[in-house]
This record gives sequence, C-alpha cells and structure tokens, in this order.
Amino acid sequence: MRILLVEDDLSLADGLRTAFRREGFTTNHVTSGNQALEAIRTDTPELVILDLGLPDMDGLDVLQQLHEHKNPPLVLVLTARNTTEDKVTGLDHGADDYLAKPFEMTELLARLRALDRRTNTTQTTMITIGSVALDATTHEVSVNDRVIELTRREFMLLKSLMETPGRILSREQLETRLYGWGEELASNSIEVHIHNLRKKLSANFIKTVRGVGYTVGKA
Amino acid sequence: MRSIRGFLVAALLATITLTIFLAALHGYRSSMLEVQGLLDAELTAHAHLLSAGATGQPPINAVAGLNGRHAFQVFRDGALLWRSDNAPDTPIVNRDGFQNHNFGGHRWRTYTWTSEDGEVQTTAAERIDIRNALAENIITESVLPVVVALPLAGLLIWFIVGYGLSPLRHLANHLRRRRADDLSPIPTRQQPVELMQVVNSTNGLLQRLEALFEREHRFASDAAHELRTPIAALKVHLHNIRCSLPDGDPELIKLVAAVDRMGKLVEQILALYRTSPDHYFAQLSELDLHQLVQESIATMYPEFDHSDIQLELIGDTAFLSGDRPALETLINNLLDNACKYTPSGGNVRAVVTDKPHSVTLRIEDSGPGVPENRYQRIFDRFYRLDGDYHEPGIIGCGLGLAIVQHIADLHCASIVVGKSSFESGLAITITFPRHRNHNSDSARQNNV
Repeated sequence: MRILLVEDDLSLADGLRTAFRREGFTTNHVTSGNQALEAIRTDTPELVILDLGLPDMDGLDVLQQLHEHKNPPLVLVLTARNTTEDKVTGLDHGADDYLAKPFEMTELLARLRALDRRTNTTQTTMITIGSVALDATTHEVSVNDRVIELTRREFMLLKSLMETPGRILSREQLETRLYGWGEELASNSIEVHIHNLRKKLSANFIKTVRGVGYTVGKA
Repeated sequence: MRSIRGFLVAALLATITLTIFLAALHGYRSSMLEVQGLLDAELTAHAHLLSAGATGQPPINAVAGLNGRHAFQVFRDGALLWRSDNAPDTPIVNRDGFQNHNFGGHRWRTYTWTSEDGEVQTTAAERIDIRNALAENIITESVLPVVVALPLAGLLIWFIVGYGLSPLRHLANHLRRRRADDLSPIPTRQQPVELMQVVNSTNGLLQRLEALFEREHRFASDAAHELRTPIAALKVHLHNIRCSLPDGDPELIKLVAAVDRMGKLVEQILALYRTSPDHYFAQLSELDLHQLVQESIATMYPEFDHSDIQLELIGDTAFLSGDRPALETLINNLLDNACKYTPSGGNVRAVVTDKPHSVTLRIEDSGPGVPENRYQRIFDRFYRLDGDYHEPGIIGCGLGLAIVQHIADLHCASIVVGKSSFESGLAITITFPRHRNHNSDSARQNNV
C-alpha cells in the first residue's frame, strides 16, 4: 500500500517511515498542507495519514479539498487534538479513521491493515484469528483448516467482529451492519446468531461483555 | 453593608428637620412678641373704655361679674368706684403703664391709666397663664403642620432617592444575573453620565479577562499538542528499536514502561488543568450516561482483556445534563483505576442507575480496596497508596481521582467511596443531580 504521510514533526515522521517500511508500506512524506494537496494531485496514494496541526493550513481544510478529488484516497487522521468533538469533526470532514497522539504503534499498524483491506489492492482478504480463518472474497470460514457452513448473516456478523479484533461491537452496531434500514428484526436476533456461531466455532471464540457487546480476541 | 439610599434619606431628612426647627424657633419667638403686643393693646383698650365709663357716675363700689381671664379696678379720687368681682378692693397698682402683679392666687398682666384730669385711675388686668396658653395655641396651630409634614417629606425623599439610584440598581442586577462565563461587555446605552466611567472600566476589565481566558485555554491545547507529538515520536522510535532488537530485552521493557508512564502523566496533568473549575466552562448537553460508559468500556476493553478481568455493565439509558469530554474523562479514569488495581482474573462492574432526581454511576472492582481512613486522601493530587495496596510496577501518577473530583464538582455531583460488593475491593459511586439549577450553578462557579 502506498501511504502519503502529512506530518510536520520530522522526528515522528522519520520514525513512522521506518516502521512502515518494515511493514512493507511505501511512504511518501510531506510537511505541509499545500505539498500534500500537490502530491495527491500528481500521484494519488491509497492512504493519507494526516496531521491536523500543519504549519500552512488547517488539516481539516486539507481533508475537505482532498475530497473534491474524483477518486479520493482513504484518510487516517493523526492528531494531538483528542477530544470527542475533534474526533467527530474529523470524521464529519471525511476521515476514515482517527487516532490521537500519543498512540501505540501496534494500534496504528492494526488500523492501517484494516484500511488496507478496504482498498482491495492487496491480494489477501484473509483474516485469521487463532484457529479461525475468514476469507472476505470467497465468504469461506474455516476452523482448524476445516471449512464450516455459515448463513449470510452469520458470516457478516463474524466478519464484522473479526475485522476489529480486540474491540467491542454493541448489539446496536451489529444490527445496523447486518440489517438494512427499516428491515424487520426480532429483538434477540443478534443473540440467536451469536448462539449459532458459538456452536459452529469454538465456544469461547466470541466473548460477551455483559451490558456492552461482543468481541473477538486479538490473539 | 452601607446603603447609599439609607444614607441619603437620613442625611436629607436630618438637614430638613434641623432647618425647619430653627425656622420654627425663630417664628415662635417673633410670633410670641406679636401676640403679646396684640393682647397688651387689647388690655389698653379695656382700660380706656372703663375709664370713659366711670365719668358717668355709676354706683359707688359697685362689683361687676366677669370671666376669669380679665379683672379691673376703677378708682376716683382714691376711692374705689368700680371693680370686677375677682379684683381686690385696694388698689393693685399705683403707677401708670404695664406691670406684672400677683393677686387672687394668680399672676396678672396689668395696665394702669390715669385720666387727664387725674381724677380717675383705671387698672385692667389679664391672667398671664391664660394669655400665654392662648399665645401658644395660636403659634402651635401655625407650626404643627410643618412638623406633621416631616414624615411625608421623608417618604417622598425615600422614593425620589430610590428613583435616582435606580440606574445603579439596574447595573448591580445586571452584573448579578450574569453567568460566570459571560464576559460580554455591559451595554452602555441608557447609562447615566455618572455611571459611564464605572461601566467603561468594567467593560475594559471584562475584555482583558476574556483575552486572558482565551490565552490560558489556548495554552492548554498548545501545550497538549507540543507535548503529545514528541511523546508519540518517542513511542514510534521505541517501537522501531524493539523490532530490530531481540525480544524481551529487560532494559527496553523498562524504557517502554517509563515512556508509557510519562505519556499518561502528561495526559493526566493536561486533563487536571483542563477540568479545573477555574478554567473550565462546561458546555452542557443531554447525554446518556449508560451509552458513555458503554463507549468507554468498548475503547478500554483490550486492557481488561489483557488482564483477563471479567467486565460487565448493568443498567439502562439514563439521561443527564453534562459536559461530554469531561464525563468521558471521568468514566475513563474510574475504569482505568479499576483495571489497574484489579488482579488478573478479577471482576469489574459498572452500574448506571436512573432515579427520579438523580443518575448514579457506580464502578466497583475486586482489587485489594482502600482502607477506610484513606478514603478522603485518595482524591488529593499526587497521592498514591503505599505498595501494600497494589502490586508493584503499576503505572500511576496519583492524578486520576483528583480529576474525577474536579469533573464531579463541575457537574455538582457527589462522590461516595465504599467497599465493593465483591469479596474485596473498592466501589466509587458518583451521583449526578438530574435537573441542575443554572443559577445555583453559576453562583457556585462565582465562589470558586
């Protein structure tokens, strides 16, 4: 994946480039908003990592102008502003993800991999967590290399959970991903799907956090 | 407190009273002389009339009845010709003119007059006490209305002074009703000349204050940016070193822990500064506490999962009026503490309760807990319990609960510390009032 890194702090940018190189990402680094817009015009990257506090212009303006592009790249906003309001503003302006400084490098890399899957340019669409492997293109799920049969909704539910390992998805979040707007659904349908999935996978693969939602562990 | 109105009314009333008193005193004295002159003239007329009557040879030593106020004697050639029944039969006076004498148990004012031929001597007398009473009556009648008018004057002065001071009162009310965070200038329209200077100076002060707050606020976010970026860089470089060195180098693990700790400390100091009631003006909105806790748990779940802690949330939608970023910090700090001090395999429970007049958040853990005599101290800045109460190596800076206290104060919420319902551990319950009175809130902020 080709990344455009827009960051005016040279030390941080340097460290990130080293880390990205190790991960196999190609990085182009610029330090200002104008340079970033210019770089996107000439050679559109797949992903832009954008710092909001730039010397020449506000990162949010860059974000807005970037979306006038006919094929806009994915944008991960990386910033020292970390209130929820900032986050909402950033996402409203068209950011695909948001990470506040200081961040864990492992967290940033996990998010980049998740975004990478969305760009569809990489060959692998496999997500493997523990003994469970999920292929997003063939809709095949296997446990210990043994393919198992899942219904469409069970697959979508498992995919949603496995795409964000270690994070909790609430019942409401899962409902909106599984069901269209206004579609009839029983109040316990998510519970039923989870119950069925647990029977097909190992029982503790999907964890319940009482009162909050469901999660699939990272390991 | 001294009142300008009270002072003005008292001072004006005292001045008016004194002036009226002096004027009345002078009036009394001159009126008294005037009335005495009039009465003397009356007495003279009486004497002349009696003397004229005596020339007509009336019966000798006749006695005439009279009212008690007047008396008279008429002598011809030294012999009593005529007298009133309250006058003695010997001459009271021998000399002509006005004199004072005692007879018949009273003091009298007399006028004696001898006719031109020297034959008839007439004395007319009037009782002095009655004369004085009469004079006083007349004078009092004229002075009394002025005295009665004094309270009326006082009342009028009270209202006039009150009306005159009303712009000052309006200004005071305007300032009192102001929210603590309202730094907009006071309107200068319709202000009297005398108050213009005060209003202008106050507006200047408000303007400077606003600029100061703005600068302080900017400092907080600038400092945040300035500190967060280098720490982020430090973490990235550390990550790179870790990747290129063999795994599990003990020095490197210590370094990572130290950097993490520094990062957390910076965040906490910024949060403490940002939520301090002196600087923070909460922007209230209707929020679902249950949803906020749910979101916080979802974000922090990896840390709980890492320590294999059973985490649960009990409760349902509970709306309260609060400041979103502040409440998120509060929930995160409580959950962070619970996660830090609960040993592996333990329990953490968050309970949101919706009551008619309040919303409570209770977060309890199965950690070692806090001895009762330390309950208050744990909210002090930089206070940390001794190593006996937590495992060594737990990263903490002693600011988390101080921040929680700040945020609870911002929301007029109360904090209760107690034992958890697990076998051991701490429970912190925060009760938010549902309907917050904005007036009492701003009054409280004023007191800060």
